[in-house]
Amino acid sequence: MTSGTVDLSEALPADGRRAAPDYPIDGAAPQIAQQPRTREEIANLLASATEAGLAVVPQGNRTALDLGRPIDRYDVALDMRGLDGIVDYEPADMTVQVEAGMTLRALRAHLAEHGQYLPADPPPGDDVTIGGLLATARPGAWRGHMPAARDLVIGMEVALADGSLVRSGGRVVKNVSGYDLHRLHTGALGTLGVIVEASFKLVPLPPATRSFAVRRPSVRDAARLAIELRDAALPTRALSVVAPEAAARLGLPDDAHVLLELAGYESALEAATSRVRDVTEHSGGGLDDAPPGAWDLLRDLAGSPDGVVLRLGVPATRIAATIEAARGLRGTAWGHLAAGSVVIHAPAIDVTSVRVLRRNVEAEGGFLVVESGPPALRAVIDPLGTATRDLVGALKRQFDPTGTLSPGRWEVGL
Amino acid sequence: MTNEALIRDLRDALGDAHVLHLPEDLIAYEYDATIERARPDAVVFPGSTADVSAAVRIANEHDVPVVPRGSGTGLAGGAVPVLGGVVVAMTRMRRIVELNAANRIAVVEPGVINLDLQAACEPHGLRYAPDPSSQRICTIGGNVGTNAGGPHTLAHGSTVNHVLGVEVVLADGTATWLGGRQADVPGPDLRGVFCGSEGTLGIVTQICVALTPLPHEVRTMLAIFDSVEAASEAVSAIISGGVVPVAVEMLDQEIIRIVEPQMHVGYPLDAGAVLLLEVEGLPEAVAADAASVVAACEEAGARELRVAESAEEREGLWEGRKGGIGAIGASSPNFYILDGVVPRTRLPEVMSQVNALADEYGFRCANIFHAGDGNLHPNIMFNELDEGATERVLELGGEIMRVCVEAGGSITGEHGIGLEKRSYMEWIFSDADLDSMERLRLGFGAGERFNPCKVLPTGHGCASGHAAEMRGHLATPGVYI
Repeated sequence: MTSGTVDLSEALPADGRRAAPDYPIDGAAPQIAQQPRTREEIANLLASATEAGLAVVPQGNRTALDLGRPIDRYDVALDMRGLDGIVDYEPADMTVQVEAGMTLRALRAHLAEHGQYLPADPPPGDDVTIGGLLATARPGAWRGHMPAARDLVIGMEVALADGSLVRSGGRVVKNVSGYDLHRLHTGALGTLGVIVEASFKLVPLPPATRSFAVRRPSVRDAARLAIELRDAALPTRALSVVAPEAAARLGLPDDAHVLLELAGYESALEAATSRVRDVTEHSGGGLDDAPPGAWDLLRDLAGSPDGVVLRLGVPATRIAATIEAARGLRGTAWGHLAAGSVVIHAPAIDVTSVRVLRRNVEAEGGFLVVESGPPALRAVIDPLGTATRDLVGALKRQFDPTGTLSPGRWEVGL
Repeated sequence: MTNEALIRDLRDALGDAHVLHLPEDLIAYEYDATIERARPDAVVFPGSTADVSAAVRIANEHDVPVVPRGSGTGLAGGAVPVLGGVVVAMTRMRRIVELNAANRIAVVEPGVINLDLQAACEPHGLRYAPDPSSQRICTIGGNVGTNAGGPHTLAHGSTVNHVLGVEVVLADGTATWLGGRQADVPGPDLRGVFCGSEGTLGIVTQICVALTPLPHEVRTMLAIFDSVEAASEAVSAIISGGVVPVAVEMLDQEIIRIVEPQMHVGYPLDAGAVLLLEVEGLPEAVAADAASVVAACEEAGARELRVAESAEEREGLWEGRKGGIGAIGASSPNFYILDGVVPRTRLPEVMSQVNALADEYGFRCANIFHAGDGNLHPNIMFNELDEGATERVLELGGEIMRVCVEAGGSITGEHGIGLEKRSYMEWIFSDADLDSMERLRLGFGAGERFNPCKVLPTGHGCASGHAAEMRGHLATPGVYI
């Protein structure tokens, strides 16, 4: 092992240099910003940074950099958008191998030509990169109705802090060879390694979709109806309970609503719609088409860079109570039934209220995570909860013993 | 350290009735559904997470390995205590702790039999989707250990896609939850990486699973082809037509001629291959999907399509599939089950190569497998009393695995690496890849104590020649895939 000064020029080719002030995180700019073109460049950069004791924060389209604790040190911005190609796509196999810097939007356009898609609808929209999609693993409205990205990832290549490039899984849809390290890096926010490529199992695009909104007098009524609709076992792709404040943001009347999306053949949707109508009329509600763009607006709201966004894992039967609690904090809230998740957006929420919310959902076996918010809040609300902190810390010491990658993003100091 | 002291400590902690230590009792725990054998020092039957923790701590104090075990149906030697130690058999922990229909979750102990969970869900209009062919006997804990698949993996995914959280006892004896009662718990997906870790990272003591609604309608069809190649072409044609059936299973002529005379489920004896196909959903969707599947099969040259007209007929078709491997046992003194995966589009050529290789080696080979997933299960039939037969079968197995790897596939789709395939790992992973897998093991604090000599090709005291290792992996009658 060498010591003394490290020459970063080889690891940081001049044509990949970017303006550091364009990469602020929590108001602080790094010393260096680099956009590598190849995975070998990424590996070199990480090896050199590790040797020099520099902290590297991998980032894609910078949509989720305030998820997790404020990082302790930030020397190098690793911009992943230089790796944005499809490595291999075999439509008949329904698998795709894609570089991490490609956006979900670009991938979606490519796959749609063959009638396929990766059914992920994370906040804040399709501008997330594939690496970011996996590293943040945030659910959207489709979660629970469709398999999530974490379910469909079948292989991965990761650059580790020591500069090694390692693979797990493969390119086949069913595979139990070795440990599924691609799952470990899912949700890890790039703290254990930098995702450089991922392979996915794909699903067919539905031939048609229809979205409905049902107005109800209260959040509780809406949640009750949503459970009835869930139990009707229809070809549903999204089923959500929306508080009045959220409904208003979607262009709906200022009342609680159920939002429902059906996906499938026209003939099946026709039949499903009439079943939906039976259920809603039985409960005294009318069935309207959802306003155009309603689902995208919800995603925008969940990915809002302003204020605070919380995501809570709660059972379906607790969604109404959780939404009501959020309303008490002047939050705009909605819940996705199948995922068991409630999202709260608020201009500001004090630490004590967040702690109370967390305690209440944890008592039910659920969880709370601050998906974005001011550093002062994120610094005191441990993103992991308490259960697995020791284990995540032990894994961090194995995969990134020098703390090169986004140090402090989890509260598992070295 | 003495064996007596280990036994005494275990009996003190778990009770005399829950510790086996006499040689005649230990024999039954020397092997799983393969025939590799190794004798443990003791077998314990914990009744609680605390018992499991105690057993692990005691094993640590005596510096002996710990090997978790479910029903012993594993097909890769994963439950064989190669270096002795304490086998922790989870069969006594078989309570369904909670079945919450309103929130569509169940919390179960690891010894719950897969089919028992299915049966418990059904009255609520729900199911636990993963249905490995051994579901009448395999445990949910074992399913988590191997990330078990099954015929319906094609549409519904493997075990990992239905597990929300697991309580595990780690190497130091502490218990912790990975994941939870809801999906998408923040942080690295420890739940996900634990599934399929074959008991090398810890022992699962409780599982929270997601339940899904039973479909309104299920339609099961049998498509009859003159050749495996034509059936293979049909598989890709069906799926590229935009329909993913919930199951696409293939049986070739060799297996049909073994299964049908024994089970009388209606497979035509003169067929070159059949596809067992299933679609489900609202009646309107089922009709449309079925029409698309039928058209693709006809296009690929199916000579006949039959639709199960009753629940009995449907169950018959499935019984033939799920009991198929057992039937081989009545037809051949010995057989070796292989488990490989290839991209679906490579199936026609790979199947030709597999059968050509079997011919070249002079063995009968029956194929019964998850064609939709590209997950092959060639079964090589032989008689171990024929001189050199065993060695040649193992060699053939290796060659078939090579074919899978060269076609862009993998060395196991659902049975696991266990002991059987450790030495093949280097065919698909680099030293750096394997080193990163070792880091995971070390991060979990498991080192070599949990289920030693499994999954990774390296390990202390585990060196043994490939042939010797493989020799034991010749399945016995009565196993399932």
